[in-house]
Amino acid sequence: MFRKVLIANRGEIALRILRACRALGVDSVVAYSEADRESLPVGLADEAICIGPAEAQRSYLSAPAVISAALVTGCDAIHPGYGFLSEDEGFAEVVAAHGLTFIGPPANVLERFASKAGTRQLLGAHGLPTIPGSEGMLRDDQHALAEAERIGYPVLVKPSAGGGGKGMRMVRTPRELESVLKVCRSEAKAAFGDDSLYLEKWLDENRHVEVQVAVDRYGHGVHLGERDCSVQRRHQKIIEESPTPALSPAARAELAEKAVRAVVAAGYENVGTLEFLVDAQGDFYFIEINCRIQVEHPVTEAVTGLDLVTMQMRIAAGEPLGITQADIDFDGHAIEFRINAEDASNDFRPGAGTVERYHAPGGPGVRMDSHLFTGYDVPPYYDSLLGKLIVWGPDRATAIARGRVALEELVVDGITTNVDIHQALLASETFLEGRMTTNLLDRVGSAAFLAAAARV
Amino acid sequence: MSEPSSRDTRLERDPAERAADHAAIDRLTDELLPALIAKLGATGLGELEVREGAWRVRLRRPGGPATRDRRSSDRAAERPTERAHSASSRPAHAVSHGTVRSDSRSVATSPAVGIYQPRKDLTAGARVRAGDRLGAVDMLGVAQEVVAPIDGVVGTSLVEAGDAVEYGQDLVTIEFGVPTSTNGSGPS
Repeated sequence: MFRKVLIANRGEIALRILRACRALGVDSVVAYSEADRESLPVGLADEAICIGPAEAQRSYLSAPAVISAALVTGCDAIHPGYGFLSEDEGFAEVVAAHGLTFIGPPANVLERFASKAGTRQLLGAHGLPTIPGSEGMLRDDQHALAEAERIGYPVLVKPSAGGGGKGMRMVRTPRELESVLKVCRSEAKAAFGDDSLYLEKWLDENRHVEVQVAVDRYGHGVHLGERDCSVQRRHQKIIEESPTPALSPAARAELAEKAVRAVVAAGYENVGTLEFLVDAQGDFYFIEINCRIQVEHPVTEAVTGLDLVTMQMRIAAGEPLGITQADIDFDGHAIEFRINAEDASNDFRPGAGTVERYHAPGGPGVRMDSHLFTGYDVPPYYDSLLGKLIVWGPDRATAIARGRVALEELVVDGITTNVDIHQALLASETFLEGRMTTNLLDRVGSAAFLAAAARV
Repeated sequence: MSEPSSRDTRLERDPAERAADHAAIDRLTDELLPALIAKLGATGLGELEVREGAWRVRLRRPGGPATRDRRSSDRAAERPTERAHSASSRPAHAVSHGTVRSDSRSVATSPAVGIYQPRKDLTAGARVRAGDRLGAVDMLGVAQEVVAPIDGVVGTSLVEAGDAVEYGQDLVTIEFGVPTSTNGSGPS
């Protein structure tokens, strides 16, 4: 195991990694930008180091700053969290070149899975059904139009790098496609430093189901079940749950087993997530792999009882997995609500400001992962995630009931959050019956959900 | 018994009134105070008073000759602290804390996280101009220049050569309230 880990991230995930390090008895250093000097991870850290100004390009996204911070503080590993440098194979390579360990897949593995189009091809060859898409990256607008024509509208424009819905747009006509390409390129460039885009066939009524896997250096892999992330707005997940209400137990097992078999065969290493679209018929198509810890990992932790972050660190340190598929029990149902600083009644506009009062809910099966505290100034420079509320119950109905209570109890005064929309979703029949599809919230509009909830 | 009840009424102020006060405090700390401090520093006046709404802010030099405190960079992280102080209803007081902290000097801060190396010929008392190179911070083999934030005289080195430093860390003080007699006389 590592001696000392640099935590190269912020917010709730920096806190989550700090806790994992402590659970393993590993020292840690929190790397932070000037805007996060007063943040909770910095306040709770044994050691913290300022790596740059608020601007992420010069702090959390600066490979030299992060690596230099690790070296001067005597760390032997870097945990990148999610977002920022977490899936940058160039960064992972430079980290290794400085004698440090990147906590995630090794650089050569990241490189193999770096291109989304290439990954679809690779995993397709290992038995995963894939969604029709463009041949490689889009060279220019002409190429984009030709490829969209070949695939058939509607199509989804996606950036090759990163995730989280940035640089992503669904278009139904050539005109729409032409008008969004520039925006997508600049969003992708700003968020990931890479503006290459590709196209994917858009399935109108689809669900997003993803399989969590863990594979050690010795080619031993397990799956940790699936998560349903169909409740999205603008391609950003806002509620995740496990198991998925969309598939039968047999179909879920088939999906998870196929996924883990394919990634092990393709030489994947460490924890990762394979994302699938599931259509109305229950057919699934592989879309992409996330080579990092994900925001929604606590959902899986709740139903398996495993600690995914310590597992990720152990694998990166070269330890064998130590468990087989038969050792993994799935118990009950878990739901995660992403608490974002945004105004659901005002087109989800993001917010910043001072948290005047914060209270985290509790009780059986309730977990709150958040970096908030009373008096905290939410800086305007980063994403809008304020925390994650995870509820567990022996069955879905109990989890939902606990979710209602916990959302009611949660207090975040001073900042407009999306708690209303979560409460509205928990009152909507579509969600209660497990029939949410990825574009439903955008198509129907969050206002409609809020209005329906208000009538109940 | 009359005192507690009058206090209760104060606590239950009209929310709109409270919001207006908060907005006024924010305006004071974010816009007005930095401007006033700069003005006070530039004019050589001993005291400034400004009224806005029901608020009155008075800035006074902590006695003696001109004292100023400036940083090479406007550190955003210091603002929340200022605001926390001012929220305790003593905005002017909080500011005087800031000015007392250091007299007649500015500080060159680190432009990066890495290993600090001062310029070989850098000695206390040497006269420097704003923008002059004082040393460098090595960030993964790339030297990031440390520069003097203002015209002045090199004061104390706050870190040793070869020390690990973080972004924004204070490295070298630059005195600028020194008597003119040291002008051009080099290291003293």
